[in-house]
Amino acid sequence: MNAIKGPFFRSKNSTNKMMIHLLVALTPIILFSFYKYGIKPFYHSKTNFLGLIYPLIFILLSAATTFITETLYEVIVNKKRNEELRYVIYNHYSFFPGLFLALILPINTPLLILIMGGIFAILIGKMAFGGFGNNIFNPALIGYIFISTCYASVLSSSYLSAYEIDTLSSATPLSNAVEALNYTTLVKPYGSLFDFFIGNIPGSIGEVSSLLILVAFGYLAFNKVIKWRITITYLFTFFIMTTLISSLANLGMWYPFYHLFSGGLLFGSVFMATDPVTSPTTPIGQTLYGFFLGILTIIARFLTPYPEGVMTSILTMNMFVFILDGIGSKGRFNFFRAFIFFVIAWGLILELSIHIGSGLRTSPSDATDNKYNIISKETIADQTTYIATYEGYQSKLKAKIVIEANKVTTYEILEQNDSFYHMTSDVNYIDKLLKSNDLANVDTVSGATYTSNALKKLLLLTKEDYQKDNGKIIENNDNILDSPEIKNYELISEQIENNNYVYHVSSKGFSSNIVLKIVISANQIIGYEVLEQNDSYFNVIIANNYLDTLAINQNDIETVDVISGATYTSNALKNIFKGILGYHKEKYE
Amino acid sequence: MRVVLPKFKSLSKNKDVLKIEAPEYIYIPLIVGSDTDITILVKKEEYVFKGMVLGKTKGHFRIPIHSSVSGIVKDFVEKTYHDGTKVKCIKIENDFEERTQEPVLSRKDMSKLTKKEFISLLQEKGIVGMGGSGFPTYVKYDNDNINTLIVNAVECEPYITADNAIIHQKAQEILDTIDTIMEINNINEAFIAIKKNNQELKDVFDNFLGTFLKIKIILVPDIYPMGWERYLVKYIKHTTYKKLPIEKGIVVNNVSTIYAIYEALKKDKPLIERLITITGDIKNPVNINVKTGTTLEYILTKLQIEKKFIIAGGPMMGVNVPDLVVSPNLNCVIILDNYKETLSKTCLRCGKCVSACPTKLSPVLIKENLDDKEKIKELKANKCIECGLCSYICPAKINLREYVRKAKQIEKE
Ligand code: SF4
Ligand code: SF4
Repeated sequence: MNAIKGPFFRSKNSTNKMMIHLLVALTPIILFSFYKYGIKPFYHSKTNFLGLIYPLIFILLSAATTFITETLYEVIVNKKRNEELRYVIYNHYSFFPGLFLALILPINTPLLILIMGGIFAILIGKMAFGGFGNNIFNPALIGYIFISTCYASVLSSSYLSAYEIDTLSSATPLSNAVEALNYTTLVKPYGSLFDFFIGNIPGSIGEVSSLLILVAFGYLAFNKVIKWRITITYLFTFFIMTTLISSLANLGMWYPFYHLFSGGLLFGSVFMATDPVTSPTTPIGQTLYGFFLGILTIIARFLTPYPEGVMTSILTMNMFVFILDGIGSKGRFNFFRAFIFFVIAWGLILELSIHIGSGLRTSPSDATDNKYNIISKETIADQTTYIATYEGYQSKLKAKIVIEANKVTTYEILEQNDSFYHMTSDVNYIDKLLKSNDLANVDTVSGATYTSNALKKLLLLTKEDYQKDNGKIIENNDNILDSPEIKNYELISEQIENNNYVYHVSSKGFSSNIVLKIVISANQIIGYEVLEQNDSYFNVIIANNYLDTLAINQNDIETVDVISGATYTSNALKNIFKGILGYHKEKYE
Repeated sequence: MRVVLPKFKSLSKNKDVLKIEAPEYIYIPLIVGSDTDITILVKKEEYVFKGMVLGKTKGHFRIPIHSSVSGIVKDFVEKTYHDGTKVKCIKIENDFEERTQEPVLSRKDMSKLTKKEFISLLQEKGIVGMGGSGFPTYVKYDNDNINTLIVNAVECEPYITADNAIIHQKAQEILDTIDTIMEINNINEAFIAIKKNNQELKDVFDNFLGTFLKIKIILVPDIYPMGWERYLVKYIKHTTYKKLPIEKGIVVNNVSTIYAIYEALKKDKPLIERLITITGDIKNPVNINVKTGTTLEYILTKLQIEKKFIIAGGPMMGVNVPDLVVSPNLNCVIILDNYKETLSKTCLRCGKCVSACPTKLSPVLIKENLDDKEKIKELKANKCIECGLCSYICPAKINLREYVRKAKQIEKE
């Protein structure tokens, strides 16, 4: 008789149970995406039934892709049959990479690209290394990287749900993170930090709800399913660094939280960085892994043009897992051997934070003149034609600018490949630039800061160049037709109720008409109600209690400042308040 | 990571200790701890008294092995030791006379013994660690700078209740002995380590403790392997040592060993009997008092237990054996209905084995680097105490301890 080797007692835990826990933790996140990208647009009648279940289809399709790819690979290449095949199917969890892949992609990723990403994830990310347990890189991230390098532009324009497209203008909150450093442009357009926390912002399918991800983390850590040390140290490092940066740049505490809750950081740190196969096994290794992930993510977000950074950081650190495990296993016997790496990590954390933080304070965006380039300049009589380029967000913008008799007559973009360009053309930004007499101070288009800035700079620098050789440019002041200030209002109806005068008044806001009900009694506005609006910036108005401010200052409307970032909308409201009060007084006084 | 194991102790706990009749044939294993290099002092057909020395280890410890019955030496045969290896045994035909060479004595005041007498008594009576190691006890006391005695009553493996039973029966004697040992060796503090959830054992001691002011009961956490010497010393004395606790003036004794010392000091009785737990999937799990050299087969027939899957020792460190003879350092036999080896799956590198290992090894890395002797050395596989926690905790059910054992061998080669 061959003796069976002990221990004869094994824990009740099993790989299978861990995977089930993982699924349980993911369920609320999946349901939230169903709500956000399916139910909500459907409820607001922005989509049909297919759109309603689309998020689920998207996720299932992705999971099925990796599952089928791996199974086929095992059958065709590894020639697995029957028992062996069944073992692989039940024990290698090949639907997980697909599931994760779907959750880190934007909802509008074309399905074909999604499928290709899934296949790539399995073949290159997993099977090329010898399958489950042997892969060095996180397969889902391999799929993600594949998609994001081959189809970058497709991705960046796919973030908004059918509902959000109408209400928000920016791709993801992170697209401006470093450029525009104020609460109003970074957070306000999406509501408040609370919206970030619960997931009321655009982003990848599974990444937006910080709340649900944190709940999932609690659940997984409690059940000892994931390597919680990685998540904790990762987030800790990241938070410490952003806090340092923001205090050096005088930004305030909202900034680190804004960073924490945006993009794939939480999702990545909870689900991707802790992927067991591709992360260190030793506690010290895991801690260092978390530190360096934090550092790399900061580098990516602040020092490279890619605002996301989480996924690439994880893939990069995947390569160092075995080194970290070496350090970790020896450091267990003698912590001193690992100590030096902790010193290095913390040195980097401090040095980078200080470097980035103080850099942000001196606003690097002014030293950008070298991005401007005049390709040709032709002068015929009093007409000069410039062809110039300026570095935009992802590509060079090439423009033709004609100045005739000291007056800009043409401004035309010849070439561009910027994913956010359409946002500027949507608001006729170029027209706005041409009409402005204070070019340098025209607001940028929020969400397309880089691009609008490029458009502005092109015109500004071209003008400067022209002025060097010729006389002063005559500003197009006479062209200003309807500056927002003198934009009118429209009276829709008026009636008398209980001795009060009730008016329905409308005015054109930024992207829609705004209709207000105004109640006037004794020449004073005593009540108002928003009847209709579909304005992108209306949330900013609400957030600032702007309507109350107007009501309080109704006799002195001119002195009320517009809200920067929502100029059109605030002007429209000012017009309504001022106009209707004037109309009423004139009529009844 | 702190690992709490399921207990299964209530099976055999708090039951009267059963004493079964001596068998007709006794097989005294010629082994002390793992030392089989024994000088045999008897011949076939020789008459031996109960308690007579049958052999001695050859090394410089010179531990004697005693007969547990009186009768005639019949043969030298091989039997299974509790670690699964075959060991030579002296087969003695019991004459059921229980005849001893000298009349049984009862020393009135044990504490009158000098340290020298004490040490030679421990040696002569073959007292060894009864918690499993079988390490000669006298060696631990052969030192002038002992300041602390830790009595290990943790019994951290599931199922085993032998120590528990002996405390219930002999608390007074155990405390007496500890007091005596302290006096003889000039030790100023003693601790009895008991698991937190074993409050009732503390109560048992508390009944007698009033007169022993220097003995403290320490409740230790219910984690595995809390009974490991290093853990105990760390927990109780907040200190670590290189090889042996005596470096810090600490002696750790199992509570059953303390009782064996009592019998040696009080009655000059060698270590020829002990309490073992017979438990598992059987109708009546018990603690029984048996003579060394009794075969398991005999015990099972007496208890009317069918012989099935047998584990000698606890479920964690124990070994699956076909049969067995009782030796001084066997504390438990578990009989399971049918045990199927768990199928191991692919390692998912979850790192649980690493966090669980009490000696701070990285079992998964040892397993991954089995072909690299240099790496194995760096990973210090030889520090493994074979507690089995890594295998226990692994969600993929990989028997990591076996890999670490293999690594140990490779390192030795
Ligand atoms: S516990 Fe098992 S699955 Fe986890 S790392 Fe260790 S060997 Fe691999
Ligand atoms: S058996 Fe060895 S390697 Fe495994 S946990 Fe125990 S001491 Fe560590």
